[in-house]
Amino acid sequence: MATILSTPSETAPGTNPSGSLHLDNLVKQYPGGISAEPAVAGIDLDIRPGEFLTLLGPSGCGKTTTLRMIAGFETPSHGSLTLDGEDMVALTPDKRPMAMVFQSYALFPHMSVFDNVAYGLRLQKLPKKRVQEEVAFALASMSLTKLADRAPNQLSGGQQQRVALARAMVMKPKVLLFDEPLSNLDAKLRVQMRTEIRALQHKLGITSVYVTHDQDEAMSLSDRIVVMRQGRIEQVATPETVYRKPASVFVADFIGRANFLDTSIEQLTRDTDGARATVRALGATYTVPAHEGIGADSQVCLMVRPESVALSPLPDAREVSGNNGRVLKSVFYGAWVEYEIETVGGNVTAVIYDPVPGDILESGTFVRVSFEQDRAWLLPAED
Amino acid sequence: MSLDTPPAAALPAAAPPRKGSRQGGARMDAVTKLVITAVVLILAILIGYPLVRILTQAFGAEGLETLRNIATSPANRAVLLNTVVLGVLVGAVGTAIGFAFAYAQARLDFRGKKLLHLIALLPIVSPPFAVATAVITLFGRSGLVTNKMLGLDYNIYGLTGLTLVLSLSFFPVAYMNLLGMLRSLDPATDEAASSLGADRWKIFRSVTVPMLVPGFASCFLLLFVEAIADLANPLVIGGDFTVLSSRAYIAITGEYDVASGAAYSLVLLLPGLLVFLVQRYWAERRSVVSVTGKPSGNVTLLRSPLARIPLLTVVLAIATLIVAIYVTVFVGAFTAILGVNNTFTLANYRYVLSGIGSDAMFTTTILALIATPVAGVLGMILAWLVVRKVRRGRGALDFLGMLGLAVPGTVLGIGYALAFNKPFIIGNIQLLPALAGGGAIFGGALAIVMVYVIRSMPSGQRSGIAALQQIDPAIDEASTSLGASGLRTFRSITLPLIRPALLSGLTYAFARAMTTLSPIIFITTPQTKIMTSQILSEVDSGRFGNAFAYCTILIAIVLGVIGLMNLLIRDRRAPTRVN
Amino acid sequence: MKRTAALTAALLGTITLGLSGCVVDDTQQTSTDGELGGTLTVACGAMEDWCQAMTTAFTEKTGVRTDFVRLSSGETVARLEAAKDSPEFDVWHGGPADGYGTAADAGLLERYESPNAAQIPEKYRDEDDYWTGVYVGALGFCSNQAKLDGLGVDVPTAWSDLLVPELKGQVSTAHPSTSGTAFTTLWTQVTLAGGDEDAAFDYMRKLHNNVLQYSKSGTAPGQAAGRGEVAVGLVFTHDCVKYKEAGMNDLEVSLPEEGTGYEVGGVGIVKGTDNLAAAQAYVDWSLTPEAQDIGPTVGSYQVLTNPDSVQDDRMIDLDTTNLVDYDFEAAAAAKKELTTRFDEEIAAQPRE
Repeated sequence: MATILSTPSETAPGTNPSGSLHLDNLVKQYPGGISAEPAVAGIDLDIRPGEFLTLLGPSGCGKTTTLRMIAGFETPSHGSLTLDGEDMVALTPDKRPMAMVFQSYALFPHMSVFDNVAYGLRLQKLPKKRVQEEVAFALASMSLTKLADRAPNQLSGGQQQRVALARAMVMKPKVLLFDEPLSNLDAKLRVQMRTEIRALQHKLGITSVYVTHDQDEAMSLSDRIVVMRQGRIEQVATPETVYRKPASVFVADFIGRANFLDTSIEQLTRDTDGARATVRALGATYTVPAHEGIGADSQVCLMVRPESVALSPLPDAREVSGNNGRVLKSVFYGAWVEYEIETVGGNVTAVIYDPVPGDILESGTFVRVSFEQDRAWLLPAED
Repeated sequence: MSLDTPPAAALPAAAPPRKGSRQGGARMDAVTKLVITAVVLILAILIGYPLVRILTQAFGAEGLETLRNIATSPANRAVLLNTVVLGVLVGAVGTAIGFAFAYAQARLDFRGKKLLHLIALLPIVSPPFAVATAVITLFGRSGLVTNKMLGLDYNIYGLTGLTLVLSLSFFPVAYMNLLGMLRSLDPATDEAASSLGADRWKIFRSVTVPMLVPGFASCFLLLFVEAIADLANPLVIGGDFTVLSSRAYIAITGEYDVASGAAYSLVLLLPGLLVFLVQRYWAERRSVVSVTGKPSGNVTLLRSPLARIPLLTVVLAIATLIVAIYVTVFVGAFTAILGVNNTFTLANYRYVLSGIGSDAMFTTTILALIATPVAGVLGMILAWLVVRKVRRGRGALDFLGMLGLAVPGTVLGIGYALAFNKPFIIGNIQLLPALAGGGAIFGGALAIVMVYVIRSMPSGQRSGIAALQQIDPAIDEASTSLGASGLRTFRSITLPLIRPALLSGLTYAFARAMTTLSPIIFITTPQTKIMTSQILSEVDSGRFGNAFAYCTILIAIVLGVIGLMNLLIRDRRAPTRVN
Repeated sequence: MKRTAALTAALLGTITLGLSGCVVDDTQQTSTDGELGGTLTVACGAMEDWCQAMTTAFTEKTGVRTDFVRLSSGETVARLEAAKDSPEFDVWHGGPADGYGTAADAGLLERYESPNAAQIPEKYRDEDDYWTGVYVGALGFCSNQAKLDGLGVDVPTAWSDLLVPELKGQVSTAHPSTSGTAFTTLWTQVTLAGGDEDAAFDYMRKLHNNVLQYSKSGTAPGQAAGRGEVAVGLVFTHDCVKYKEAGMNDLEVSLPEEGTGYEVGGVGIVKGTDNLAAAQAYVDWSLTPEAQDIGPTVGSYQVLTNPDSVQDDRMIDLDTTNLVDYDFEAAAAAKKELTTRFDEEIAAQPRE
């Protein structure tokens, strides 16, 4: 998409300061549910105006329920929800200044593309001319102008999704809600659409809450990611923090791939940059950044991302000991090579990007295994 | 008549229900709450109050005696058993016929398909006595076919005749529902099964039929309830075979014992309730049909003669039977007494079209026309509430709507007489004026319209529910999220999407209103002559020619109006830009 | 036209209904003039044409606009009962007297001794004056001549004629608990047996072997005979004549020589009518030959109760008919027990 949606109306885009969403101890307990566990067990969130926030987690973690509570399709059993200080729980979904984009697009099959997009504006009783302009502009921005008179079922999946987006954005809601909107698209289209969504949202500055179980989507779209698990928040942070400094083994494992090495703390220091711990791992001593919650005698576990692992061949080595390891498996992916290395601390996965031709290690090769200590992360161990 | 679009066939693409999505979790907006209150209130007036008035009589001394008798007396137990047997037979046979027609229509290729479709829909209009009398004329002991052609001495009266007549009269509902479901099945499932090595027969048994189980169950329920509540046919062709509805009628009209009649009717509600519960808790849980977007391929039509020939034979035989019956009615209208005195005459039409006859036609048609849109829309709103809006108590609401069909007409009629002959007064505030009887407002016409509404709403309600269950709830939510209230969403999104269901609901409603007899007997007034009761009186007088003439006119009116409705509520397949 | 107006109004009905929370005005005015006026609504228990002719004639004679609804006896009783606080009918005309008895017992009828009642033979009148007879119908055999010829059986002229083996499966009668006609048959047997119920049941048991089926409606046996489904139907003779007139030409009426039962068609005033004067005038009129003579002109051939009324060839001649001494009160009292017994001992039994 070439053009970025701007609007012909007098309100300048991207300058809307409102859209601050506040969730306080939001709980959803279904009556007579199979488990006594609440679907959402107390969520606190402050979503800043214009922020793009993603709810990420495995299925059943409560992310969709949370989104539907924000939208108003579920009533919280407990807790409060305010938008710019105004209570939302008391409002029915149609009264909330929000618009939702659905996984199934949920286009109105009996209306043309134009009428789909115009639907909400007409409900607001805007003058006909104004509706015409706004819709035309939204369609143009989405490269849908030529399809205005088509029926939804005459469109491709990607086009349908654009209509759904246009239909929500034309409303200029204070909050946009996305419920796994890209999961029905093929991989290539998905990548393209998420770029478009991000660009649009940036331009319009509408607070957005986006539900997905796809970590790539979350990483590429979000200002912040909320990782959820069993109805609770595990971590709220920027994509980079979530990746580099996950709050738990669960987060580390769910986002990206990680090696977890058993270790224990030899020394723990704290300064303004946070905590650092001296640990022994893979036959060497490292001083690594550590999670705030770690104490000197905490049970810990060291996370090393596969791409942080460095390997150097040891032609003379004959056994796995100390920091010596042996290549068990070597898979060439083009842009990278992935190795599985047997070490004294268990098997370690290593990923080497842009491998030099001829330097790819064969399985059986002995290597020295090390990692860059600043890129490792010391976490409290899971129970 | 063209009910071209079966309830589910033209339904829009919809995604499978979201995993873990629970409907009705949202706070209801004020309008929706108002609608629920209004619908419950309307149902309470239309069916609740009259039923309470009459069924309480079942707990009077006489009624309790009858209730005890039903448990102890072998004769009464036999009546109960007969009723259940009849209901099960008609439910099964009617559903089977409906399925045979639907399957042939959806999966076979043959000439005259369109014609077969129309023939299958013809019995929607079956005026009381017409089908039964025609069957007796054709297949009775001195019937044209059984006796004159085949020389048999065959006694059609009883269970056989009843099952035949009732199955033929009621199967179109099953046909419509199953055809809709068959067409909405994704051919990809067939293709998948086929690619896994299943042959056509195996696919039929292990894929098609199981997918339709909820449809079978719901058709069975509807037919069961209709069969056991029917009155005119058991009276005409039931012979020795007594069922609860005719027993209740006899208690009231032959034994002057309304309390016992009420008691029999109370018992009559039990099998209906039972089947209803079974259907709700079993079939709906097993519901596997969902419209998953545009069908991804074309249905492979069945070509094997091994399957084609028997199926087509059965279907064509039944179609011939239906045609024969309606031709009999038609021919009967031009003879003095068909099968006895076959002189051609126009006297029947002369009689029917003059005086009382034309008054009755006018009155009945007007009243039915008033009732039809009310019944159709009320049925759709009720379906919408049951499927989308109400969580707790949705079963009760659903059943309340179905009661109008489940209660025998006689009992409903007396309930109306009891409830609405006087103004409804609390304190000295008149909440309702007298609605039924000669002294009521509009000469009692309002009560007749109300009976038409409550009696004809359930079929629309069922097709509405079936249609709504196949539409992704997210479409509703999308509308709400764009700022539409519940009612607005219903009007501009839901209703257009279930237009085919609405259309078939209206069709059934009109046909049923025009052919309702038994409750009407108790609330007709001099100002409201109703065609069906004129037919009854002609049959009583032995003037079958006149009765048949009335029936043909009634059929013509119904077909005409249905045709008009199809034109007015056309399905806009290609959405157009509203500007 | 009143009907059209009513219907147009009904179009707006639902709207008005919502606004009807008005205060009740219970000071209704009743006119008690000596002049006949107002309107009458008749619950009519006879044939449609009969009802139409009667009410039209009364309207022409008196100027009282008279409408009717055609209802069976049981339906009438049910409706009178349901609306007893605000009756929708003023007069009940036509239909068997046992229904009138039931209604009188339930307090639904108004006593009235018409000055014209004296002309009606006493046995066709209620001793408490709740109703008066307007016509009499005798039970008889309605045979299909062609069918009988085929079977080689003569037209039956005695109850015993129905028991011959040739008529196996060729007799049609209704069930006594569903049909007044069939109960008349049963009580006639009791009367013929001198009150011996067991003897009567013996006859019914034998008859049972020849009966094809017990229909629900009392008139159905006549139609079955007319269509040739059975050879003989047990119905009131005027019904048989009616079917013959309608085109069932093979039908033949005959009467049992041992004696037969009969029904009396009544007329009575509904309790609580708000036009008593007109209702009384209607009853008075209905007992006159002028009113009763209308019957045969519209195809109803019951015998008329006023001795001065016409006699038609198609009516049976009461002078030559052997009517049993039918005790309506005793019959009504025994009905429930007899029909229950019939249900268990006869209808449910297999045929030999």
